Amino acid sequence: MEKSIETIWKEGFLNRDALIAPKVNDIYNMKSIHIIDKFQKLFLINIWGIIIGSSLLFIASYFAGALLAGSIVLIMMLWVAYTAYQELKALEKIDKGQSSYTFLKSFKDWISKSIDRYGKMYRVVYPVLILVFYFGIWFSDIFAGKREMVAANSNDMVFGLHIYTTIIIIIAAVLMGIFSKAIHSKDVKTIYGGILRKLDLALAEMEELRDEQPLS
Amino acid sequence: MSNDFYTSSILPYAAIIIKICRAYTNTQQDFEDYYQEVCLQIWKSRNNFQARSEWSTWVYRLSLNVSMTLLKKQKNNRQRLASDKLPSDISDEPCIFIDDSLEQLYAAIRQLSEVDRGVILLYLEEKTYQEIADIIGTNPNNIGVRIKRIKVRLKKILDGKIN
Repeated sequence: MEKSIETIWKEGFLNRDALIAPKVNDIYNMKSIHIIDKFQKLFLINIWGIIIGSSLLFIASYFAGALLAGSIVLIMMLWVAYTAYQELKALEKIDKGQSSYTFLKSFKDWISKSIDRYGKMYRVVYPVLILVFYFGIWFSDIFAGKREMVAANSNDMVFGLHIYTTIIIIIAAVLMGIFSKAIHSKDVKTIYGGILRKLDLALAEMEELRDEQPLS
Repeated sequence: MSNDFYTSSILPYAAIIIKICRAYTNTQQDFEDYYQEVCLQIWKSRNNFQARSEWSTWVYRLSLNVSMTLLKKQKNNRQRLASDKLPSDISDEPCIFIDDSLEQLYAAIRQLSEVDRGVILLYLEEKTYQEIADIIGTNPNNIGVRIKRIKVRLKKILDGKIN
């Protein structure tokens, strides 16, 4: 005779082995690895974005008659991309086999160190980019008409540059250099903000878990 | 999660969690992950329990919600990775019960929609229509009809497989 599903259910669970609970342990392992994987993907996209963007800018500078400026920007941005690639390599070296808490802590440490290293690099990169953009555009072929017009209507010119505009740009470049770390930190928060919030939440939860007795 | 909380508030209801997680997973690895996630969510949401219902009812509800959410996520991930044959998909140890009939019944339940799985599990756990409706969040009048339909479907799937 065919059994009803109700009977199968009842009889099936009479055997205690069917209801053995698995051990609850290291629950955050998968989650933490997932957070970092996501970050790595975004980081890699960012590196490619830098390479593609600066290459397009280089091509545009060729057509605008500002090849020197385009070349300097390309070299600077390739330096940034290379540094980012080295940082990514360092991130990949973080041992995924350690406890989730230590794993995420190592990741957080990597972010702090990375922001610090980038901050130092951008102290040079930001001012150079501003100055190169300014000089590059000002002396480019497509800007020749405007340059001549300003020169004809102003007495405040030195070496073909408008003094006050140049002073403002230099001040801006110096300020960018001084505040490079803060600017980069804000950049990181804008791009990776969601993941960093998740990371902080996960770490806060784990710290709460660590304060209590672990499951045996 | 403290040992005390697990022993006093989760372990006595582990059977509920196990039965539900089994219905939403195909492999032992997935089952263990789902079980752990449900336990973690119970612990995290413990302060939201307002004693309007029994603790066991709340555990049913939470286990179903977590399992359904995880299944959805897993489906999305599998769709994204559809072109890649993941070795883990092939090599994962399947969920197997000692009782063959129960194994067949679970295999049939896994062919149902996410909600239908929840409904039939609660029915098999001898919950009243009102309780099922409360847990699922629907009208109790619809539950009876739905259960009849699910039973017909299960009977079709199981036809000839179980004696």
